[in-house]
Amino acid sequence: MHSDTAHETHEDHLDHGHIHPAPEGFIRKYVFSLDHKVIGFQYFFTGIFVLLIAGSFAELVRLQLTDPNGAIMSHTAYNEMFTMHGTAMVWMVLIPLVTGAIGNFVMPLQIGARDVAFPWLNMASFRIFPIAVATLFSSMLFGGPHAGWTEYPPISLADGTAGALWCMAIFIIGISSTMTGLNFMVTIMKMRAPGMTWTRMPLFVWATFATALMNMFATVALSVAVGALFLEHVFNVPWYDPARGGSPVLFQHMFWFYSHPAVYIFIIPAFGVVSEVLPVFARKPIFGYKMIAFSSMAIALLSFTVWMHHMFPAGIAPWLQLPFMILTYAIGVPTGIKIFSWMATLWAGRIYFTTAMLYAMGFLITFTFGGLTGIFLASVPVDLHEHGTYFVVGHFHYVVAGGAVMGFLASIPYWYPKATGRMLDERMGQIGFWLFFLGLNGTFGPMHWLGLEGMPRRYASYANFASQYPDAVFWNRFETACSFLMVASVGLLVFNIFWSMKNGKVAGINPWGARTLEWTISSPPPYYNFKKLPYVYGRPYDFDQPMPYQNTDLEIEAFPEYGKVVMPIPTAGAAAGAGAH
Amino acid sequence: MGPGFWPVTFLMLALSLICAWYFLYGNIDWILPGASNPLTDRTNDIDALFKFMAVSSTAIMIFVAGYVIYFGVVFRARPGESREAVGVPVHDAPKLEFWWTVLPSLLLVVLTALSIVTWYKIYFGTAVPALTAEVIGHQFYFEYRYPGLKNSVYSKTEAMHLPVGVPVRILITSADVIHQFWVPEIRLKASGVPGLVQNLNFTPEHAGTYSIACSEFCGPDHSLMQGQLIVEPVAAFNAWLEKEKTAAAAGGGALNLAEGTADAGKATFAQKCSACHNNPPTPFDQKLVGPGLLHITDDPAHPNLVSGKPPTPENIADILQNGFNGPIGQMPNAQANGLSSKDIANLVAYLVSLK
Ligand code: HEC
Ligand code: HEM
Ligand SMILES: [Cu+2]
Ligand SMILES: [Cu+2]
Repeated sequence: MHSDTAHETHEDHLDHGHIHPAPEGFIRKYVFSLDHKVIGFQYFFTGIFVLLIAGSFAELVRLQLTDPNGAIMSHTAYNEMFTMHGTAMVWMVLIPLVTGAIGNFVMPLQIGARDVAFPWLNMASFRIFPIAVATLFSSMLFGGPHAGWTEYPPISLADGTAGALWCMAIFIIGISSTMTGLNFMVTIMKMRAPGMTWTRMPLFVWATFATALMNMFATVALSVAVGALFLEHVFNVPWYDPARGGSPVLFQHMFWFYSHPAVYIFIIPAFGVVSEVLPVFARKPIFGYKMIAFSSMAIALLSFTVWMHHMFPAGIAPWLQLPFMILTYAIGVPTGIKIFSWMATLWAGRIYFTTAMLYAMGFLITFTFGGLTGIFLASVPVDLHEHGTYFVVGHFHYVVAGGAVMGFLASIPYWYPKATGRMLDERMGQIGFWLFFLGLNGTFGPMHWLGLEGMPRRYASYANFASQYPDAVFWNRFETACSFLMVASVGLLVFNIFWSMKNGKVAGINPWGARTLEWTISSPPPYYNFKKLPYVYGRPYDFDQPMPYQNTDLEIEAFPEYGKVVMPIPTAGAAAGAGAH
Repeated sequence: MGPGFWPVTFLMLALSLICAWYFLYGNIDWILPGASNPLTDRTNDIDALFKFMAVSSTAIMIFVAGYVIYFGVVFRARPGESREAVGVPVHDAPKLEFWWTVLPSLLLVVLTALSIVTWYKIYFGTAVPALTAEVIGHQFYFEYRYPGLKNSVYSKTEAMHLPVGVPVRILITSADVIHQFWVPEIRLKASGVPGLVQNLNFTPEHAGTYSIACSEFCGPDHSLMQGQLIVEPVAAFNAWLEKEKTAAAAGGGALNLAEGTADAGKATFAQKCSACHNNPPTPFDQKLVGPGLLHITDDPAHPNLVSGKPPTPENIADILQNGFNGPIGQMPNAQANGLSSKDIANLVAYLVSLK
């Protein structure tokens, strides 16, 4: 019954007929690869690269605000910086990292599949990503976009060529997300190992499934919105320009119809990571498996119904505000259930404070804080005060940096041993956690009262506000200082990632004593992951039980529920890409 | 539950109560500007909602963070413990889950209900406002208009005035891109969207001077789009309004060309004239709708104005005041262009300075 031992070999003595030899040589293996794991690495390193750029833009933004008249750059340059920072962070960093990198590497392993359903499509999705990045950053050669990551018309129409390039970049990355969404959805529906019913799926897989659904259905609205904006930039089609009869509010509707689900596109995978990490290091079953899985789906569906909470003062009929306020409050319920279930998972555990666990527990605190300030923003009257201020900047950074990024940072030390075969250095990791946690609270905490006191967001200078509220200068400098703690943390992480590849302790198959399927095969996993198909008997969270897997030598056809799409069939294209045959 | 569970819980409860007491009875002006002396009736309503949320969510935060830390401390794996040791294998606890679903839901229902009451007051609470004022956003200043006073209070240096104790309705829109009207002490804001009018209703309760900030990104100088709100006793307000009205009736006051400043004229030109005249100004023969206005006083190729008169300040002012319908097209008059006498003086000063 124990699969730990059964899988220790790399030898191919029990190959199914159509398992392919792994590609050899650096180029074939790491550049032109169809392997979901390698594509995951490609996403990871590209995403981290963009993170460093977008992070330095954030630091320039922060430095500017150390002086109420603007310390280092012109208004125009500042506007370009926060626009590029927000755009790159949302579309070119977080979404690719949590779905493209972590989702790609982990999800197929966790369901016992040999790859995603459409490896070619997967490769294409990745190839598109650097093109989108290049397009986005090339806009800076044409003066850059200035209107914020939302690029609301009519003001964004002043961006000209740079604005058109911005639209192109978002459109292109949208294609990539949609294809990944489709790919993951089919993979999870059709390629789970025999015996892995829906309710035996690891929670990260549930999270990836909910995310895939949103990626597939929400991205389309955004593509249409920016497609139309592109046509307006280039061919003067008057969709949005009120001076020519267009509707600027229409853009906001379409933008947020995507972008509200988008915030869940990056937070739900983080939920998934936390749901894996907490039970492993508390050495006890995840509390309320079904409620956690169900609430991910509920949040995914509800997330399509709340977009107007971003537009309360923006020009919608007052009565329309009400349903959106109510639905936004409704989304708080499944979110609360999740948080309470994670806390209950900690109760009476045997808690090991590894780096991953620290990030997961830190997540519980900072994400809850972000969720609670969301309650303030959902109430129409209170939002009429808070909208468009630093309160909002504080709120969403607690959610994205304190939620999505913390979840992502938990996933790195957790799956690094599986990906590389070596442990990520714990000491550096834990120092990194404390730097990040303190830096995050110091940077984004004071933004809440600055915003409430009267500091609007997207302000290149705040002399008038500072004259009303003299402490503003102190707090802004304090935030800037704290933000450098996060920079140090990310720097340490990047160093650690490269350092530990050579110097880390050898990990072995299952260094954490975890129970999901990826921990039953060697680290790093062999090319086609599972030489023998595992049969799944139960959920992966019962630490007092034997592993719920059995390796089977049976033909796949013996498992009708396994469906038609069983594993990637090497096509001519795959052969060209992977260099086999 | 774990060693020290109840003491820790009571500690957190005590902490939550202290915070609640502070939010309700302490001075939180450093969080909400003017909370101790609310500017309007809406300020009061919104602050009450805010405090309710602050009290409940602070308590939730204390309990979540508190238990996460407490569990971490008491259930930590001790050094030397066997790696095989596991935690208590509970999978769920239906009763507990029931309560932690129902109680937060109830809290949210209460919040929603309270929010709807305040929402109603904001948009529909003032059936018959005693004063309706209009705010129009421009890049990068606010323009304010009052009944009987259209097209006259234009300059961005002028403040918005409101009377104490009178229910007012503010109508908000924009002339170019999207802006947002926000007075932090009132707690209300609304976007000025071109082609759309939104309203806010409230009654100012005491006098004072406040800042108006644009809180929707509207271009390079968004952060400089600041205005001033002067709330004053009814008598003072009426006196101000009368004064402005008389000035408006007299065409915005007597035209005094010596008062004009080229800088102010330049800004007005960008707002009011650039639709028809190239901005920055170009020579006469480079037309948009109207001719270019560079070198208007010293162009050998174009010695006289379109009106046939020599280009003196007075004659230029005459065209701006009365308009001119000539072969090139229609130059609108001061009323159609929305120019006060002061604007005209500024514009003439600006045009004359274009050598
Ligand atoms: C609706 C378009 C329009 C607007 C708006 C407009 N103008 Fe004109 N303007 C014209 C036209 C057309 C003429 C030429 C009339 C003709 O000679 O046929 C003109 C002529 C003039 C002249 C005379 C030029 C000359 O060389 O004799 C001046 C001065 C002038 N405009 C100033 C202004 C200023 C200042 C503003 C802004 C307050 C302004 N205009 C706004 C259309 C406009
Ligand atoms: C190093 C950590 C970070 C720092 C110091 C930082 C700082 C800031 C600051 C100061 C602003 C406000 C700009 C303004 O309104 O004038 C901002 C905006 C923003 N940030 Fe970050 N940020 C960080 C990380 C992130 C991450 C991880 C995301 C991921 C989504 C993100 C997304 C955004 C977005 C979407 C905006 C809004 C931009 C806009 O107004 O259009 N940030 N950031
Ligand atoms: Cu949203
Ligand atoms: Cu603005």
